Amino acid sequence: MRIALAGNPNSGKTTMYNVLTGRNEKVGNWAGVTVDKIESPLRKKYSVGSEGVIIVDLPGAYSMSPFTSEESITSDYVRNARPDVIVNIVDSTNLSRSLFFTTQLLEIGIPVVVALNKTDITDKRHNKINTKLLSERLGCPVVSTSADDGKGVDKLARVALNSAGGTQAAPFVGKKATDRASAEKADRERFAFVNKIVSAVETRETKASDLGIQDKIDDILTNKWLGIPIFAVVMFLVFQISQSWLGAWIAEGIVFENGFELYGLVTLIDMLGAWVAGLMEGANPLLTSLIVDGIIGGVGAVVGFLPLVMVMYFLIALLEDLGYMARVAVVLDPVFKRVGLSGRSVIPFVIGTGCAVPGVMACRTIRDERERRATAMLAPFMPCGAKLPVISLFAGAFFGESRWVGVSMYFVGILVILLGAFVVNSVTGYKARKSYFIMELPEYKAPSVSKALISMCQRGWSYIVKAGTVILVCNFAVHLMQSYGWNLRPVENAGDSILATAAFPFAYLFAPVVGVVAWQFAAATITGFIAKENVVGTLAVCFVGLENLINLDELAMLEGTGAEIAGVMAISRVAALAFLVLNLFTPPCFAAIGAMNAEIKSKKWLFGGIALQLGMGYSLGFMVYFFGTLFTGAGFGAAWMPILGWTVVLVFTLTILLLSLKSKRQAAEKADAKATATV
Amino acid sequence: MTLLNAENGKTYTVKNIETGDAELEAFLFSLGCYSGEKITVVKLRKSGCVVLIKDGRYNIDSALAGAIEIE
Repeated sequence: MRIALAGNPNSGKTTMYNVLTGRNEKVGNWAGVTVDKIESPLRKKYSVGSEGVIIVDLPGAYSMSPFTSEESITSDYVRNARPDVIVNIVDSTNLSRSLFFTTQLLEIGIPVVVALNKTDITDKRHNKINTKLLSERLGCPVVSTSADDGKGVDKLARVALNSAGGTQAAPFVGKKATDRASAEKADRERFAFVNKIVSAVETRETKASDLGIQDKIDDILTNKWLGIPIFAVVMFLVFQISQSWLGAWIAEGIVFENGFELYGLVTLIDMLGAWVAGLMEGANPLLTSLIVDGIIGGVGAVVGFLPLVMVMYFLIALLEDLGYMARVAVVLDPVFKRVGLSGRSVIPFVIGTGCAVPGVMACRTIRDERERRATAMLAPFMPCGAKLPVISLFAGAFFGESRWVGVSMYFVGILVILLGAFVVNSVTGYKARKSYFIMELPEYKAPSVSKALISMCQRGWSYIVKAGTVILVCNFAVHLMQSYGWNLRPVENAGDSILATAAFPFAYLFAPVVGVVAWQFAAATITGFIAKENVVGTLAVCFVGLENLINLDELAMLEGTGAEIAGVMAISRVAALAFLVLNLFTPPCFAAIGAMNAEIKSKKWLFGGIALQLGMGYSLGFMVYFFGTLFTGAGFGAAWMPILGWTVVLVFTLTILLLSLKSKRQAAEKADAKATATV
Repeated sequence: MTLLNAENGKTYTVKNIETGDAELEAFLFSLGCYSGEKITVVKLRKSGCVVLIKDGRYNIDSALAGAIEIE
């Protein structure tokens, strides 16, 4: 038996789904968090003896006529997949809008149960809804619920299970529409029907227009002058707390003034490793190495960065729950409009700071196809959690652990997105239709700490899984490839290894960015396309002597070895910054490219997007090196290096220019043809 | 007049919506924003405005605000 959850965006469907199934799907306080259908079995405690009950969560929709692509998932599902029961989650704070969709669901013929959700808020405002009368008028059961605190959920489950197998009579049947005018007439009648019900069942003590505090907060947060600085401060705090304060304390420990030291996780794992190694003294060295370096070290691999990333996930989850995301979209809408995007693109970018994959997926709520594709190819430019180890390594080794390196990379990321949007815009031509921006402003609510903790642990766990699988395997493969030659025998000099010889041609390509022909950097950049953390691991494995300075398992430097690492890599600080930029702004990982492919749905756009990322990363990296070297007065390496670099930058720029000219000409031709046609 | 000339805190009746985008107008309709319905202006800004349609708050940009005729 399948029970589908349907209703308006941000009415609490996924929160209800999580309570009913015990899952922890992503929730957030804005319209359009869920972009795909998800399903899971109903928890035993709610299924009262019924077996095989599946709960299906659907993206929010305002009506059965879809506006954006994720809304069509909902209307297609309830029409064609014929679930046994539809649980219509109704936002009780906006009854008059929600019931429009309810009356459409009631027409399908599948039994509907209305869950009157968010009753905690209506109760607080002393607004009353007569559920008995509502149920009579609609001709279906109505259950008061509050998914946030689990109130009424068991009753809802019971009523839904009882309704299965029945039929549903519609209290209002819209006339079959043949054209737009008659469709509008039918919809007007539907709203009139809904309005009559609402005025009969609802008594409001607090009108929706009376939410003075909410509006006052909005006045400040979306203020023309203050909005953007406030957003910048909020994001800065997210990074500062996760990377310098709380996150760093958990990872590295704290030494108090009186000398008392609270160990960090990294130290604790090291101590555990040393302890086990002590226990295993005299055992087979291979086995010891496997357990101490492999297994314990493998756990440690994650621990090094996990606290930083998890604290960041936690803070982002709080922001998502608060209702701030919609306001950020509003604040940045005018900025992004200038480059052909809109405020809709902002949410994917902010989510992308955690991980590019959900960031790219969030693009689905963008209605305009061109805008959606452009956002999906630009979201991976935001430095994500996986790029943190790379930033930390270079900031630590070359810039005295200076914070400005990390923070500035985020600002560069935003600038690159704006620049990239401008490029995409001029290459693909401005949109055919006028763009309008409308964003629902959800009510602010106190963010739930427990929900943020759950979200944090879940995303932290997938980080662990990734580190224990993809990254571990890659490091292992890199290790083997640089230890063995093509004859499959161990090599004495890593320069003769499979890895070195395979990466060597690419070393020439990347030489203009780092100023030296070094296969190690080429290999690191290439493995970085699989997953960004690999950059650190591969560098550590490849540079002779670096393995002792970087704890390979923790993907982090040992304390106080920054200068030595810089010495082993033998590149200048400018080159290090350039190499960092190259790696941050080229494609982030295979997973992100997969997500891009799913959302972009066009090979031409996908390859265009990857080419843009490659070209942008390389050009920026080279220019950082070139101009940095120019200012510091250091040497450029061989003369061919800047020549090659500028050639790539020129080809990249010229391609963009040519494509934009072509698109302009096509647009002009189209306009001409149209003019002729009208004449 | 359009929403662009509206006053903060006042409730108006939508007279006409002219966006040239039928899908968008159908979407606005499903929110309860169509001719003959009430719309309250919460806050008017240069870049757009916050409006109250039924019991929901929405931010709309000035392009859309200019396309909604009110009285």
